[in-house]
Amino acid sequence: MNLSTDPWVWIAAILTLAIFSFLYKENPFYRIAEHLYVGIANGYAITFYWHRILVPSLFDRVGAAATPVSTKIYLIAIAIIGALYFTRFIPRISWLVRIPIAIVLGYASGASIPRAIDAEIIRQLKATIITRASFASWQAGLWAVIILLGVIATISYFFFSTERRGALKPLSYAGIIFIMIGFGASFGYTVMARISLFIGRLQFLLGDWLGLIK
Amino acid sequence: MSTERENILIRLQKIDRRWIYLVLWLVVMFPLIFPFKIKPKPTPPVEQLFNYIDTMPENKALAISVDFTPDTRAELQPMVVALLRHAFAIRRRVGILAISVYGLGLGEEAIQQVTGEFNAHARTHEDSVIYGEDYVFWGWTTPILTVMLGMGERITNVFPVDYYGNRTESLPIMKEIKNYDDIGILITVAASAIPRSWINYAQVQFGVNLSCGITAVSAADFYPYVNSGQFIGMLAGMKGAAEYEQLVRQRMEKNGMEWALRNRGTEAMSSQTAAHLAIMAFIVLGNIAYFATRRKRK
Repeated sequence: MNLSTDPWVWIAAILTLAIFSFLYKENPFYRIAEHLYVGIANGYAITFYWHRILVPSLFDRVGAAATPVSTKIYLIAIAIIGALYFTRFIPRISWLVRIPIAIVLGYASGASIPRAIDAEIIRQLKATIITRASFASWQAGLWAVIILLGVIATISYFFFSTERRGALKPLSYAGIIFIMIGFGASFGYTVMARISLFIGRLQFLLGDWLGLIK
Repeated sequence: MSTERENILIRLQKIDRRWIYLVLWLVVMFPLIFPFKIKPKPTPPVEQLFNYIDTMPENKALAISVDFTPDTRAELQPMVVALLRHAFAIRRRVGILAISVYGLGLGEEAIQQVTGEFNAHARTHEDSVIYGEDYVFWGWTTPILTVMLGMGERITNVFPVDYYGNRTESLPIMKEIKNYDDIGILITVAASAIPRSWINYAQVQFGVNLSCGITAVSAADFYPYVNSGQFIGMLAGMKGAAEYEQLVRQRMEKNGMEWALRNRGTEAMSSQTAAHLAIMAFIVLGNIAYFATRRKRK
């Protein structure tokens, strides 16, 4: 064993153990670590927003003699609109928060919707189309056919406009099978993800802190 | 069924979850202390990304977007490290940015580690990895729309100042990387839906080649984009990182760089395997107990 002499490693190790103590039961050590995390994360982000965004993009430019007056007015107006987010804390004028939200929503929706249709629908649909190139090898061809069947079956499962009779009935049942396989894959990956995070912390505790592993 | 066996099965279903946590703790811990050798075999999406970067034209740069936060560091940091090693081993220029403000420190950590490894073995100036010539850390800015769309026009407009406070215009590397046209592939290493935004904005608008390194929990969501060709390969979770580490290690050995570097993803694979076996055993036991006692109840 080769214990770390770095105080920051000790602080990180103690906080990690405090968080893990929740697995036994809720306790004040866990609460302290949780609140510290939330506070520090927010403080870190606010500092960066202040120094990297607000100061260079707003305060420095508004304060600079070289900036044209029209630009200064524009920047101040935008800053005032942004500041309206804080009206949420004043019930009497909290409705003003809708102004910046509306601007952000409008801008983001306008920018996103056409591109999302292209990326998420058209290109994904294209990928399900079987062509001669899909059969470059028999495995590739088989997967292409399975993907096509899976897409049609899954969509048919979510088709609620008519009663499930005739061909729609077995097709929608096949859809359930594809959906379940998808859930299984997601669950397997979720297990892997959570274990990976735990491994990362143990690598830190056993390696960086206790020096039990190289 | 004897009453004794029945009691065991009933007890098994009511077992305190803390026993399961304890077993998992031990199962993950022991292989870390006493590892057994596992050599991850690269899967097609990992190979696809590796081959693409490996054969990328020399005048094209690799861009890495550190889009994750410290909570997913264990899974994703090994990917950033492996990608940086690959790029420097084949002498490709690298640009790094962060979409999440919390990714800045993680990006910096990976850069310091990998440039330190390469510069420790460098004998000449040409062998070294030099800031502003071979790589640049653009840093972070917001909102993401501005970053993703703006980088297609002029990167120095989006990041007038780099992470270290230098004017990006003054860096020699920025004469070679003006916008997406100079980027061979952009890899978003993320623990959220940000890779989808990169597709929607950067790829649809500017046609930039993309790939992603994502947490295992999101892997199933992103496979369709690999299938459609919108992502050139993909690294999924710690296993994806370990597979890439193996490919990079082989490439570095081929290039005469036998440096015995630590590969955190690969090191974790024995624990990962043991934990998966334990969880499979829990699922099987739980199901046996459930079905056996259900039949009895009926």
